[in-house]
Amino acid sequence: MISAYIPGESWFHRISAGPKLLGLCALTVLLFPVDKPGIAALAFSVALVLFSAVGWEGYRRLMALRPVVYLLVFLLIFHALTGTFVSGLVTVFRLFTMILLATLVTFTTRMEDMLDALNPVLTPLNFIGISSRRIALAIALVIRFTPVLIGLAEELGAAYRARTGKRAGPRLTAPFAVLALRTADHVSEALAARGGADGFEDTAEFDGGLPKK
Amino acid sequence: MSNDRTLVYVSLYAALIAALGLFPLFHIPFLGGVPITAQTLGVMLAGVMLGPMRGAFAVVLFLFLVAIGAPLLAGGRGGLGVFAGPSAGFLIGWPVGAFVAGALMRGMRRRSVIVSAAISAAIGGIGVVYLFGIPGLVVLADLSFGQAALGSLVYIPGDLIKVALTAVIAESVARGLPGALVSRA
Amino acid sequence: MSDVTVERGGHVVIANLSLILDESRIAIVGLNGSGKSTLVRTFNGLISPSGGEVVVHGIDVGKAPKAAARAVGFVFQNPDHQIIFPTVAEDVAFGLRQIGYSKADARGMAVAMLREYGCDDWADRPISELSEGQKHLVCILSVLAMEPEVLVLDEPFSSLDIAVRQNLLSRLKSLRQQIIMINHDLDAFDGFERMIWLKDGTVHADGAPSAVAPLYRLHAMQMAENLAPKNL
Repeated sequence: MISAYIPGESWFHRISAGPKLLGLCALTVLLFPVDKPGIAALAFSVALVLFSAVGWEGYRRLMALRPVVYLLVFLLIFHALTGTFVSGLVTVFRLFTMILLATLVTFTTRMEDMLDALNPVLTPLNFIGISSRRIALAIALVIRFTPVLIGLAEELGAAYRARTGKRAGPRLTAPFAVLALRTADHVSEALAARGGADGFEDTAEFDGGLPKK
Repeated sequence: MSNDRTLVYVSLYAALIAALGLFPLFHIPFLGGVPITAQTLGVMLAGVMLGPMRGAFAVVLFLFLVAIGAPLLAGGRGGLGVFAGPSAGFLIGWPVGAFVAGALMRGMRRRSVIVSAAISAAIGGIGVVYLFGIPGLVVLADLSFGQAALGSLVYIPGDLIKVALTAVIAESVARGLPGALVSRA
Repeated sequence: MSDVTVERGGHVVIANLSLILDESRIAIVGLNGSGKSTLVRTFNGLISPSGGEVVVHGIDVGKAPKAAARAVGFVFQNPDHQIIFPTVAEDVAFGLRQIGYSKADARGMAVAMLREYGCDDWADRPISELSEGQKHLVCILSVLAMEPEVLVLDEPFSSLDIAVRQNLLSRLKSLRQQIIMINHDLDAFDGFERMIWLKDGTVHADGAPSAVAPLYRLHAMQMAENLAPKNL
């Protein structure tokens, strides 16, 4: 499964998902009213040190956050230009800290564990007909569909280039949508053939094994 | 629409939002350091094509996957960190935007598909999303309302292109595969 | 099945068809639009007939579509449409979960099944990295894991090279399940006991493949010469 999880045995990995999530929520609330740059910078350094739990790989993967860094630098300049440099500095430190901590939780928690931890929160959805089984199935479908859709788009683009010699760009989005939706219909049919989202478990008509002809 | 088909369609649109992040449909270079993603096109489409509830569910499903650690946001970002970033308000606005777009699409069922899709996508996908995103910037980035609104302007041209694309796609699906325009079915 | 009629979009696709399908290897042939895919989709309730009834291994499909779907395993043309889960073991285990096994049991059985078919290290491989032939095999295994009584294959393997196709066909040969297969390539029906030729939603010929296949081939060749572009 594609995931941001970094396998490891650190102490932070060993804390279970529930407490980690709760701790993250608590810290976010605590950090929010901070308005002194010193405290914000301290929190940021602590987060940076905590991050060592995921080792070099963790710091390296932080590079994926580059767009956020640009955004934060932009934000700081914006604050400086409008004469609120100090509050901008606090904001940037605070945001960095929160992002680091949240990312740390993500890097050290398996997706399955995260899902299990969230199960109590999701249970009420049962009442509107969304069972945890359906959620799991939907997640699997999304992860499965994503590469299929990219493949479809690439094929379509290649076919267009072969016939015109030009890059396709947005003009292929409509045929792509129709193609993708057809795929969805086929998938629905195949899912129904395998018992649908609810499976065969609770088909009373099927008790006692398969009737023989 | 059967339950299974709903499930598959909702998942398909969530995957579409993910695919749009990994595979940019159009390349607009960095503007002021902010990458412009095609993902809000997926949000508009989810609402316009699936209708309010299913559209919002598709977006929530996508965000849920991102939250539990799938790196599906543009640029390969994922995890809880993105909801702590300054643009978290926009992300929270996505499902609401999809819902509003779907509701408008349904409400305008007497009008032509292309026109109502454009209006729905513009109001849901731009109006509502910014309605959440700008206050988000105000709170999270400690900006004034005017600053936040000004900073968000860079996204508008890209968003208008996405509105146009949404309308064209909805129109061609309505002609080529009418059953798939669930919001009107 | 008796007196089955299927209408779609206002016109009749299958007309008053009555068949008893007892043989363990049955081939269904016919030109495009003859109703083959529609016919097999009545076996597991994917399509409901507007008249008549379909009974599969004692189960009335109209009354108990779920039980029928359980008894009939379906392999579709395009594996990308059928495989739901991102990794091999998850997809095979899904079938087992569907029939009531626990998550852990299903995973164990899926891994065991992969080993049995010589795919030991496939369990955690992403589907998107498999070849077409490997995806087809995963489809078949996922369906077989649910232990159906009948295996329906709707134009399987049409995108595969000859070697891979022969390998998969010979794997099918050894199965205990009844097999009903639609295919355009008549060579795939080696060892089949019966061949049904559908034309315009009715049975045009029905009998041993050695008798039906030459007639069908001849008809198809004649048609080929006379097809105008509008009929392609």
